[in-house]
Amino acid sequence: MGEFVPARAHEYHARVLSNVRLSRRYFLLRLERPRDFIDPAAGQFVHVAVPTPDDRFFLRRPFSIHDCTRDAIELVIVEVGPGSQALRRAREGDTLHFYGPLGHAYPVLPEKRIVAIGGGVGLAPLYFYGFRAPGKLGEGYRLLYGARTREDLFLEHVALERTGVSLATDDGSYGFKGNVVQLAAAVIEEEPADVLFSCGPTVMMKAVQKLADRLAIPHYASLENRMGCALGACRACVVPTKLDGGSPYRTVCHDGPVFDASVLQWDELPVP
Amino acid sequence: MGDISIQIGPVRFKNPVFIASGICGYAEEYSPLVNLSRLGGVVTKTITMLPRAGNLPPRIHEMPHGMLNSIGLENVGLDRYVNEKLPQLNQRPDVGVMVSVAAETEDEFIKLAERFAPMDGYAGLELNLSCPNVKGEALDQGRNPQLVEKISRIVKERIPKKSLWIKVTPNITDVGTVARAAEQGGADAIAAVNTLVGIDFDLETGKPVFARGSAGYSGPAILPIALQKVWECAKAVSIPIVGIGGIATIDDARKFFLAGATAIQVGTSLYNDPGLPERIVDALAENPEWMRARARASASPAA
Ligand SMILES: Cc1cc2nc3c(=O)[nH]c(=O)nc-3n(C[C@H](O)[C@H](O)[C@H](O)COP(=O)(O)OP(=O)(O)OC[C@H]3O[C@@H](n4cnc5c(N)ncnc54)[C@H](O)[C@@H]3O)c2cc1C
Ligand SMILES: Cc1cc2nc3c(=O)[nH]c(=O)nc-3n(C[C@H](O)[C@H](O)[C@H](O)COP(=O)(O)O)c2cc1C
Ligand code: FES
Repeated sequence: MGEFVPARAHEYHARVLSNVRLSRRYFLLRLERPRDFIDPAAGQFVHVAVPTPDDRFFLRRPFSIHDCTRDAIELVIVEVGPGSQALRRAREGDTLHFYGPLGHAYPVLPEKRIVAIGGGVGLAPLYFYGFRAPGKLGEGYRLLYGARTREDLFLEHVALERTGVSLATDDGSYGFKGNVVQLAAAVIEEEPADVLFSCGPTVMMKAVQKLADRLAIPHYASLENRMGCALGACRACVVPTKLDGGSPYRTVCHDGPVFDASVLQWDELPVP
Repeated sequence: MGDISIQIGPVRFKNPVFIASGICGYAEEYSPLVNLSRLGGVVTKTITMLPRAGNLPPRIHEMPHGMLNSIGLENVGLDRYVNEKLPQLNQRPDVGVMVSVAAETEDEFIKLAERFAPMDGYAGLELNLSCPNVKGEALDQGRNPQLVEKISRIVKERIPKKSLWIKVTPNITDVGTVARAAEQGGADAIAAVNTLVGIDFDLETGKPVFARGSAGYSGPAILPIALQKVWECAKAVSIPIVGIGGIATIDDARKFFLAGATAIQVGTSLYNDPGLPERIVDALAENPEWMRARARASASPAA
C-alpha cells in the first residue's frame, strides 16, 4: 500500500443558488461554487453537512458531483431519509457547509470506446463525465440510463434524449423496455466497447461486472457506503476486495468511490 | 491570545484540546481540514501488535442523537506503524501525537512499550483498556483494578520521559476505583471515556444492525454520562483527567473543565464539524484564567 496521501480537499461554505424538484423523488441542488474550489473530476464527491433546525445529530452526507461549472456545483439528490429530506428543504440564499472534492474519479481514457451504465441517481457522475470533464458524449462515450419507471427518470433539465443518451425503464414506460444492463448488452452487440463504467444499485453494477467478464473488458464501478470522515481516517466505509496489503478492506471514500471492479468481492459488498 | 499550555506528566502540551482516538486515523488524514499544529495534539487510531482487518461492514450506524460504531480496531499493526506512520509524523514536530495502543496480554504491553521507548516523534501513549468492539480481553482489563495498576506500571517504567494516559471505559459502575489503580501504577493521566456499549435493531430483518450485535455508542447523547465519569474520576485521583464524550460545542468542552478535567478530546463531532477543535482552542485562549481556575477547583471532593 505505499505512503498515505491525504485528500486534496477543503471545507467550504456555499450559498444555495436554487433547489428544484426534478421528478417524484429527485431534486437538483445548485450551490454557488466557492472561488477556490478545486476542479473536480467525474466520480468525485462532496461531504455535505445537513442543516439542522433542532438538536438532532447528523453525520455528513456524501453526494457525487453531478456538474461543476465556473459558477456552480450541482448535486442531484434522491429523497431517502431525514438527511436528504432536510437538504430538500434548503432554500435559495441558505448557506451549506461541505468539504471536497473527495475520492478517486473515473479514469480519463480519451482513445477508448466507453459504455457508461447508470441506474437511478447513479447517472450523476456519469453525466458529469460525458458532458463536462473529461469525456465528450458521442466521441467514444455512450451513456445509458435506466430507471424503474418513467416517473423516476430525472431528465427535464438535461433533456438527455436530445443529447444522445439511451434510456431504459423496467416497465417500458419510456425508452428501451428492460433493465439498463440488457440495453448495454444490445448496444455493445451493435458496436463494441473497450471499457465499461457503472454507477447505480449494487445489483445493477454486479450485473455489469458479469457483462464485463463475458466481454473480457475492464469495468470501473462507483460504490456507495456509509461514511464518517470521508477522508480515509475512520475506516467506517470499507468494502471487501481481493487485494491484500495487510487487509482485504479498502475505503470507498479514499480508495474509491470508483474502483477497478474486478478487485471487488461482489458477493460480500455491504448494502448502505 | 493567552497561554493555555498544560503539563501532563513529563510532557508539556501547547493547549488542552485533542482529537480522540479512532476519529482521525494516524493524524495525516485530517491535515486537509484541521490545522493539527494548532491543537494540543491528536490521539491515533489504536495500534495493536499485529495488523487487524476489523469487523465486517456495515461499521457505523447513525442514531438521532449519536452513532454506533463497530470498526473492530482495524489498524496497520505495530511494525507498519513504527516503520511508516511514525516517520511521517517525525517530519511534523509541530503536531503533538499520543499513540493509542491496546494489547491482549501483559507480555504484549511490555513488547509494545519497549518498542516505543527509544522512538521520537510522539508525546506519549494512551492505553486503550476499554474498547467494546473486540472479543474478550480488552474490556476486561479495564474492569480489573489490579490489572490496570500492573499494566500502567509496566508501561510507565519503560517510557519514563513520555506521557502515559489510561483510557477508561464508562461501562462500569465504579470508574473511580479503576482511575485510582491507574494512578497508583504511575499513569500520568486518566482519559475518560471510551464509547458506551449500545445496540440497535433493524425492524425489517428483526436482527441487530451490526454483525457483532453490540457496538460502541458515541456523540452528543453521551455528554452527561461522560461528564459524570470525569467528575467521579476527579474525586478519586489527583493526576490530570482528559475528558472525552459528546463534545459538540465550545460550551460542552467548558463543562468538562467544570467537572475537573485538565484537557479534552473531540470525537464523533469532528465528522460533522472539523473546525470545532480549533474553535475550542480559540475560545479557551481568550480567557486562560477561566480554564485554570475551573480545572479541578470546582470538582475537588470538598466542593
Ligand atoms: C460516493 C457517494 C456518492 C453518492 N452520490 C449520491 C448522489 O449523487 N445522489 C444521491 O441522492 N445520493 C448519493 N449517495 C447516497 C447518499 O449519500 C445517501 O442517499 C444519503 O446519505 C442518505 O441519507 P438520508 O439521511 O436521506 O438516509 P438514511 O437512510 O436515513 O441515512 C442513514 C445513514 O445511512 C447513510 N446512508 C444511507 N444510504 C446511504 C447510501 N446509499 N450511501 C451512503 N450512505 C448512506 C447516511 O449517510 C446516514 O448516515 C452517494 C453516496 C456515496 C457514498
Ligand atoms: C468511529 C470511531 C472509532 C473509534 N476508535 C477508537 C479506538 O480505536 N480507540 C479508542 O480508544 N477509542 C476509539 N473510539 C472512541 C473515541 O475515542 C471516544 O472515546 C468516544 O467516541 C467518545 O467521544 P465522542 O462522543 O466525542 O465521540 C472510537 C470512536 C468512534 C466513533
Ligand atoms: S468514511 Fe472514514 S474512512 Fe471512509
